[in-house]
Amino acid sequence: MSTTTQTDREPHAGEPHRRPVVDTAQYVLAGFLVVVGAYVVYDATGLEDGFSDQPVQPYAFPYVVGAVLVVLGVLLAIATRRGDVAEAEDGEDVDLTTGSDWATVAKLAALFVLNIALIDWLGWAITGAVLFAGTAYVLGSRTPVRDLAVGAALSVGTFYGFYVGLGLPMPAGILDGVL
Amino acid sequence: MMYTRRGVLALAGALTVAGSASACGVTGGRQDASNRRLRMMIPNSPGGGYDQTGRAAAKTIEDNDLTGRFEIRNVLGASGTVAMQRLLNERGADDLVMTMGLGVVGAVFTNKSKARVSRMTPVARLIEDQEGILVPKDSPFESVDDLVATWKKDPGAVTVGGGSTAGGPDFLFPMQMAKTIGIDPRDVTFISYDGGGPLTTALLGSKIDVGMSGLGEFEGQIADGSLRVLAVSGKERTEMVDAPTLTEGGVDLVFSNWRGVLAPPGISAEQRRYLVDLFTTMHDTEEWREELRRNGWTDNFLTGDEFGDYLQEQDTRVETTLKELGLT
Amino acid sequence: MDLLLEGFQTALTPTNLLFAVIGVLLGTMVGVLPGIGPAMTVALLLPITYNVSPSSAVIMFAGIYYGGMYGGSTTSILLNTPGESSSVVTAIEGNKMAKVGRASQALATAAIGSFVAGTIGTVLLVLLAPTVADVVVKLGAPSYFAIMLLALFAVTAVLGSSKLRGFVSLFLGLAIGLVGTTTGQARLTFGRPQLADGIDIVVVAVAIFAIGEALWVAAHLRRKPLEIIPVGQPWMSREDWGRSWKPWLRGTAYGFPFGALPAGGAEVPTFLSYITERKLSKRPEEFGKGAIEGVAGPEAANNASAAGTLVPLLAIGLPTTATAAVILLALQSYGIQPGPQLFSAEPELVWGLLASLFVANTLLLVLNLPMAPMWAKLLQIPRPYLYAGILFFASLGAYSVNFAAFDLGLLLVFGLLGLAMRRFGLPVLPLIIGVILGPRLEEQLSQALAISQGDVSTLWGEPVAVVVYLVIVLILVGMVASRLRGGNGPSGPGGDPEAGSDASTDRERLSA
Repeated sequence: MSTTTQTDREPHAGEPHRRPVVDTAQYVLAGFLVVVGAYVVYDATGLEDGFSDQPVQPYAFPYVVGAVLVVLGVLLAIATRRGDVAEAEDGEDVDLTTGSDWATVAKLAALFVLNIALIDWLGWAITGAVLFAGTAYVLGSRTPVRDLAVGAALSVGTFYGFYVGLGLPMPAGILDGVL
Repeated sequence: MMYTRRGVLALAGALTVAGSASACGVTGGRQDASNRRLRMMIPNSPGGGYDQTGRAAAKTIEDNDLTGRFEIRNVLGASGTVAMQRLLNERGADDLVMTMGLGVVGAVFTNKSKARVSRMTPVARLIEDQEGILVPKDSPFESVDDLVATWKKDPGAVTVGGGSTAGGPDFLFPMQMAKTIGIDPRDVTFISYDGGGPLTTALLGSKIDVGMSGLGEFEGQIADGSLRVLAVSGKERTEMVDAPTLTEGGVDLVFSNWRGVLAPPGISAEQRRYLVDLFTTMHDTEEWREELRRNGWTDNFLTGDEFGDYLQEQDTRVETTLKELGLT
Repeated sequence: MDLLLEGFQTALTPTNLLFAVIGVLLGTMVGVLPGIGPAMTVALLLPITYNVSPSSAVIMFAGIYYGGMYGGSTTSILLNTPGESSSVVTAIEGNKMAKVGRASQALATAAIGSFVAGTIGTVLLVLLAPTVADVVVKLGAPSYFAIMLLALFAVTAVLGSSKLRGFVSLFLGLAIGLVGTTTGQARLTFGRPQLADGIDIVVVAVAIFAIGEALWVAAHLRRKPLEIIPVGQPWMSREDWGRSWKPWLRGTAYGFPFGALPAGGAEVPTFLSYITERKLSKRPEEFGKGAIEGVAGPEAANNASAAGTLVPLLAIGLPTTATAAVILLALQSYGIQPGPQLFSAEPELVWGLLASLFVANTLLLVLNLPMAPMWAKLLQIPRPYLYAGILFFASLGAYSVNFAAFDLGLLLVFGLLGLAMRRFGLPVLPLIIGVILGPRLEEQLSQALAISQGDVSTLWGEPVAVVVYLVIVLILVGMVASRLRGGNGPSGPGGDPEAGSDASTDRERLSA
């Protein structure tokens, strides 16, 4: 799924002068659909008949869904060739006139991965704060100390909220015994 | 803008103060013998069967000051397989126990996991729940004999519903019963329902012929006569309903859906003794008897090596049943 | 009526009122967080209630249940982070409204709509519970299969302007719905036991909505100084009221029966309501950009379904949702057995509970309505903080289910999918519907055919199923007729020029 992040610097949809552009990145989506569909079908071939003579076997639905996904992928590729362009989603905070800033997305994803990698070791109280402060920094906040303070307050607050309020012991990580 | 920023800071500050004032050091705890912090894993969600049993045991232990506080975590996934894997991974951890039962034994097989019960350290079997054979009010089956006769004549034509997925207790029971009376388990038409509620619906609407499940969730319907119990699966009759055991009904099968406590593999003999003693002391308390009564559980206490042998036997029996069905 | 008045006397004692307040506050809080829901909260509170009277406990649980339905909508609207599966649909129009400075109105229409639906639902509950409940057990798998088919058919209405992209999204959703071992064998689990129970719809929704949105915004963040989102006027205008009241009523009409049905639930009526409002709206062009009807209808539907759930629970002891199952457990631990005899055996408890539902509803309105403009101000915090906060709470919600890093990984993967969907203009709703409907459709079909031993005629063997199929045929005929009369009337599917050539193939795919 990370393939989409590599499709940077493509001519963007919704540009003021409408030439018949081919949205090459959309071929990636079409390919993705074919791959997913094919995998769904492949996965289903590994399924055996159910334990009794089930009329609806476990592989029935996957075959249908997988096959249709492949067909849709092909249709999308054809449509793309004919000049079909995506209507990228607009929004209040979204500025589609300048190009896409995939570097920021990559940084955010990296922060997320960092959180996943460290959460078992450091615990939510720490990684949550880092996630908050890091995200704020990447998105343009330039007050790291305050961001960290807010993040720490939020993560420690939620930690105690779960632990005391709901009786759900969140793993404390290296702070075990301190919190 | 400034106003709201100050607002955020104030909120954050308030959270920190509230947090530290009310609850500082919740994860700490002295480690002497009478006040140890233990962790308990529960392989289903809050409110589920293992959850009720586990929390009741933990509460009894805490209320009687038998140890320090219990940290209870519900580890969900694949009917308990995820939790079993975690128990295996925590090899040697001397502060961890897990509440589990028959359903987990089967789930480990159907999910093709290596974390089998026989690899863990047995602590204690706590309770059992009998399975009941339920039919709708206007069912043609009046006794186990009626059911057996019709079932044998055309095994596939009797639709059997259960409140668990393939591999769970409500699935294992009809399969073992079929085998006992000479029906190939593969011929059984088993319909899996998502718990007791949907199974009740199907029975009340006569969508299926027979339901096999723990009786706890059907008390109301049994009391008002809309469901009848043909037999119960335990060694002895239960006080809850007026129904014969399967053995009395002429089917040579005793089946119980038990729940118990395991520890990770590789813990010291001393630690194992400590845990067995802990749950034995708990079992003897007045509070535990009260919990049994309140929840309608049958006491079925067994510890240490005997429980280990029992687990081994259950493991093999479930494996055989599932192998015959091609489910492992 | 006398009984109900006595019920109010039970519900309005200071102690019980206090429990009701605690219940609605707790319910609202856990409703806000994705991951923790009312079912889990009630279950965790079970041991505490051994020490209070049954009435107080049940009253608190009812408060939690209703509160959870309210709370889920707040974060849906403000942060695009649905707290419960039943408020996923609310996020679609609700968050768009918030983004254009109409958060107060969205929150208000959600709160008032929930109140209206909850109240009507409770009235229906009082009237119907003692008599009508055993009708619901007559419905079997064939009827549910027909209903699910109708719901799937209705999906074509929300496929968006490009039918092709709509179907791509729908089938991606169906593929996600395949994951798990519900059929007894592992499908698409990649050998991970964590995937054996399938992928939680809330995780998918939070990832696609919140994470996907945050990443998309990050890629296109306006670098020039931002104009602050206007708070706008705090209350609903006359026009908002005019546009809301019909959706409230229609939402209630969807929600209540679905709640009472054993396999109904709160999700299907919310999106049926959404689709209906979109079809009936005089301003279909506003849908997708923040139409108030799209918030009013689904929010009414989910609260009405909560009331509907209590019909079979109280009348025949049949829980139709997870929360109801846990409440049943609580009742049983007091030795109270719901069922036909409950109304005569425990009048104080039952009527106290029913009265407390009215009380809980009123409390929720009183607590939530004044909060709406305050919540709306939350959107004025600086953008970096807003999106950092969204990522923080989405992660917390996903993590809190199991405390497993794996769930955070899922969140990221689907978040990236959400990003890609925005880049390629894929509509989000069909995917969500696919995830919800796919497994149910399969479950009902295989259950129906297993019971009938493969005899397909069972599918139209129940009267309700036949009626539903007739409805589908009628809609089809209506669609064809309106096309023959010259294309796209107001009820035409989406109103795009391609619809003519596409719709026929749509139907073939559906029936496949």
